[in-house]
Amino acid sequence: MKDLHFILLLLRKEFLLEFRTRSAISGIFLYVISTLFVVYETFVKIQPNVWNTLFWIILLFVAVNAMVKSFVQEKGNRVLYYYSLLNPSHVLIAKIVYNTLLLLVLSLLIWGLFIFFGDNPVKDIGLFLLILLLGSFGFSVTFTFLASLVAASNQSSTLLAVLSFPLIIPIILMLVKISAHALRLIQDTAVSGDLAILVAIDLLLCGVALLLFPFIWRD
Amino acid sequence: MIEKGKIWKFSGVILIVYVIIAGLLIPLKSGIESVEPSYGNAGETLKIQVTGYNTHFKEAGNSLRAWLKWENGKAIAATEMIALDERRMNLTFSIPNNLPENTEVHAVTLLIDSEADGTSVLPSAIFLTQTEKVLTAEEVQWVQPGDFSNNGQITFPFRNILGETIRNTYFHVPLWFGMMFLFLFAVIHSIKYLRKGDAESDLKAEAYTQTGIFYGLLGLITGALWAKNTWGAYWSWDIKQNMTVVALLIYAAYFILRASFEDPEKRARVCAAYGIFAFSTLIPLLYVIPRLTDSLHPGSGGNPAFGSQDLDNTMRMVFYPAVIGFTLFGFWLSSLQFRYLRLQKLREDVD
Repeated sequence: MKDLHFILLLLRKEFLLEFRTRSAISGIFLYVISTLFVVYETFVKIQPNVWNTLFWIILLFVAVNAMVKSFVQEKGNRVLYYYSLLNPSHVLIAKIVYNTLLLLVLSLLIWGLFIFFGDNPVKDIGLFLLILLLGSFGFSVTFTFLASLVAASNQSSTLLAVLSFPLIIPIILMLVKISAHALRLIQDTAVSGDLAILVAIDLLLCGVALLLFPFIWRD
Repeated sequence: MIEKGKIWKFSGVILIVYVIIAGLLIPLKSGIESVEPSYGNAGETLKIQVTGYNTHFKEAGNSLRAWLKWENGKAIAATEMIALDERRMNLTFSIPNNLPENTEVHAVTLLIDSEADGTSVLPSAIFLTQTEKVLTAEEVQWVQPGDFSNNGQITFPFRNILGETIRNTYFHVPLWFGMMFLFLFAVIHSIKYLRKGDAESDLKAEAYTQTGIFYGLLGLITGALWAKNTWGAYWSWDIKQNMTVVALLIYAAYFILRASFEDPEKRARVCAAYGIFAFSTLIPLLYVIPRLTDSLHPGSGGNPAFGSQDLDNTMRMVFYPAVIGFTLFGFWLSSLQFRYLRLQKLREDVD
């Protein structure tokens, strides 16, 4: 119960900070809109199979840009203050939950803009929403954890892309495959098995990240 | 005498030398490379020319025997056998009017046996067509192929597409096994570092990762050469090949991460964490995803995994030593690399 209390407090802190400095979040929203605009300007008409890949690639780049700053604020004296007060797992869980929600909102925004500019190729809306959630969670776990590594190194955001893109491939391959089924591009008879594998990969990475984060956090 | 601690290094080298000598010098068993023509009709007298591999048709002389065998076990013997040279032979079969199975097209197996070469088998060698059943009272001489000769030579099996490249089993596969062991030890040392904070564990993890990448590259190159000879291209964008490159990219990023730290203690900690995280994605990447998609590689996309029927006993005598030998050699390389890294670090500390 106490854990949940701490996590919720930290989550509230994340939301508060985000709304106080609205520049970051509005930057990401603008990034999404301009990307979509460029995509439609150049593609004109998007076939469903291209749509499927494009959607996840855009979400991938949005996720990197949104999450690279996850631990940038946590520097210097403030970290010392947190460190004496908090359990590192709570910090990571709060960040992952916050980033998952943020990514979920962003992916819904991307989907909405796709529908607004073109049309909606998604046939199985329930399944698509489910993989948006699972995808957001998987991206959030990977990027949040790796952002904490990158933040420790005082390096630019390219390092996050270099570290995370190869690691995200198992997740993105599963996502594209299941979403192809949601778009009825393929008849996937083993869709529940694929979903189970996706959940397993997500949980595996989340578990490993939770185990390792305390060592990164300790400074 | 060899010191006790060095025995494993010497055994690794001896095993690799043995694998290279035995793996490259033991000849392939004789086999049937091709049959021309590879189709025929029921009721006709079928003349075919067989091209063998490592065969001695002339030398075999009278001991030559040949059969066409159906799936249900029935077989007919060749009526005439003329050896043109050691590798080519003309065979004549009188195909019965009524073929023994109730399908239109019959894929029959060709068996050749001789004292010089032992038994060679080519499954689905000839496709026989039967359009309609003929009502004749013909007496077919069905035989049971048997009493096979054994020339007692030590050979590797002949597989049609593989040919001589079957020897790559002793290099490509053990290199992958070795790579996984090396990455596993890198993770163990990373975990050790996070638990104990001993700087040597960090250097060991780095050394094991470096040798692991080296083995991975060698595995990739031997795999590409094998693919050129069996799949037709060095790179066929096969899921297994792609995922392998991704795995190597993940470990290449490990070194970029290492290079971006000034403080050695912080570097060791963050890189150990990344190493463990990376290793945990390796399992879905190399062993789960390739099984879900179509792939040419054994063990993925419905292809049989590396199973018991892929190795015969002669191959096992070389394959298992190869796995042990390459793994031990990898550990030796890693320990040398570790000592080099430790010296380098000492020099940095002195400067």
